Amino acid sequence: MKCEKCEELVGELLDGTLSGEDTSTLNMHLEQCLDCSDVRNDLQSIVSFCQTQRGQYSAPPNEKALWLRIRNIIESESQALVGSVGQTRPRSKSLWADWMSRSWELSIPQLAASVAAIVLIASLATTVGLRRWEGSVGSVSSSSASPAPGVTGAKHRDRMWRQQQSISYWNQRVETNKARWNQEMRDTFDRNLQVIDQAVTDSLNELNQHPEDEVSEEMLNAALNEKLALLREFSDL
Amino acid sequence: MHTRSLLARLTFSRAHLLSVLAVFALLAPFSGLTYAQKHLSKRYPAGKRVRVELKNISGTIIVESWNRDEVKVSATMESPTANFSPRLVDDGLVIDVMGDNRGRGDVGDVNFKIQVPVNSSVDLETKRGDIRVANIRGGLVRAHVSSEGDIELTGISASQVFAQNTIGNIFFDGEFSRGGTYQFQSTKGDISIRIPSDSAFRLVAAAPTKRIELGQFWNSNFKTVGEGQKYGKFVGDVGDGRSSVMVTNFQGSITFIRR
Repeated sequence: MKCEKCEELVGELLDGTLSGEDTSTLNMHLEQCLDCSDVRNDLQSIVSFCQTQRGQYSAPPNEKALWLRIRNIIESESQALVGSVGQTRPRSKSLWADWMSRSWELSIPQLAASVAAIVLIASLATTVGLRRWEGSVGSVSSSSASPAPGVTGAKHRDRMWRQQQSISYWNQRVETNKARWNQEMRDTFDRNLQVIDQAVTDSLNELNQHPEDEVSEEMLNAALNEKLALLREFSDL
Repeated sequence: MHTRSLLARLTFSRAHLLSVLAVFALLAPFSGLTYAQKHLSKRYPAGKRVRVELKNISGTIIVESWNRDEVKVSATMESPTANFSPRLVDDGLVIDVMGDNRGRGDVGDVNFKIQVPVNSSVDLETKRGDIRVANIRGGLVRAHVSSEGDIELTGISASQVFAQNTIGNIFFDGEFSRGGTYQFQSTKGDISIRIPSDSAFRLVAAAPTKRIELGQFWNSNFKTVGEGQKYGKFVGDVGDGRSSVMVTNFQGSITFIRR
């Protein structure tokens, strides 16, 4: 007899349902095979224990906690299964409902801080929006005040807006100090600013006619930088 | 006898004094012209590779090399209120007319002539006025005119050259060093660059269309960039292109001349 066949029949042997011939053959194998004999002994001891205890087993420690853990595991597995199927809508709905139904308890300082934060964010957003709008329709040259209607690229507008802000700042500083200059210096400054403004206007017109022309874009940028440099360098006179 | 001769000498001295006073009285109306200008001339010890930095407000700046290891600063000040104090620093000399006259009001033109060793670096700025630099072979030559003034750089062999003005011509006559950087920019003025025929450089030149003349330095490798009609841009290598040359002109011409 082979060991596999022995393992199949050992249960019946212990139950006493095996035929006489098979019983003698099996016993012969068990006498010769130590492993199968151990299996028989183990099984025999389990059966004997069950027969003596008769279903009265000692309870595990903290039985309620054990059942709670088992229930949680089962629920989490079932939720994961539902989520994987793709039922996300009811879940988001429940979150929204949960958010809306949640009660908020705020102290007066917390409430005041929240209101102040909302007002601050709203005013900042309004200011930024207004400046962007003014920048898009504003002039490029502070003195010539020529608009930039054809320059459509947001990148151009954004850069020009930033340059325009700097130019306005330095222009104010120049105007403040200009009274101290002699007439010759004032004439020189005005003459040079006019020349640069002409370069800005030329390159801007060219860019309006050929929006994709990178040379005109470079020239416009260089002219604006040139204007900025002139204002900055004369502002400390 | 002795007393008589003494009196005679005294009489002569008095006559002489009177005549001198008369001469002064005659020249008095014209003395204002000569007194208004103030001159300054001073020498400073320097090594062979000195750096001279000058920040002027208005006036002509002339810098040229000489065969001495020292810097000589000569200045003519139009206004008697103008003042400046050159400062010796680790690597050279700093002259800041702008800073030294802050709050003094109008100080008029200050015209400089500075003589430096041939291997010097010069960094020159002015709000208005011409700048002329001659025969400098140092690391840097920078000439910056904020508004109007011609820039003339001759006999230059520096690894970095920057020349920029708003109104006025720029003339460069020199050599491009291997690996050097050269930038020229004018808003309204002609830019002329005179270099040896075997010069090697990478050029980026932008100016109104048809106002860029590369002459002998033009070759078929040059690319014309730009879709517009107003401005044109040439990009290309001359020779092995080991130095970088950038020229920008908004309303004037760019001309390369073979030496």
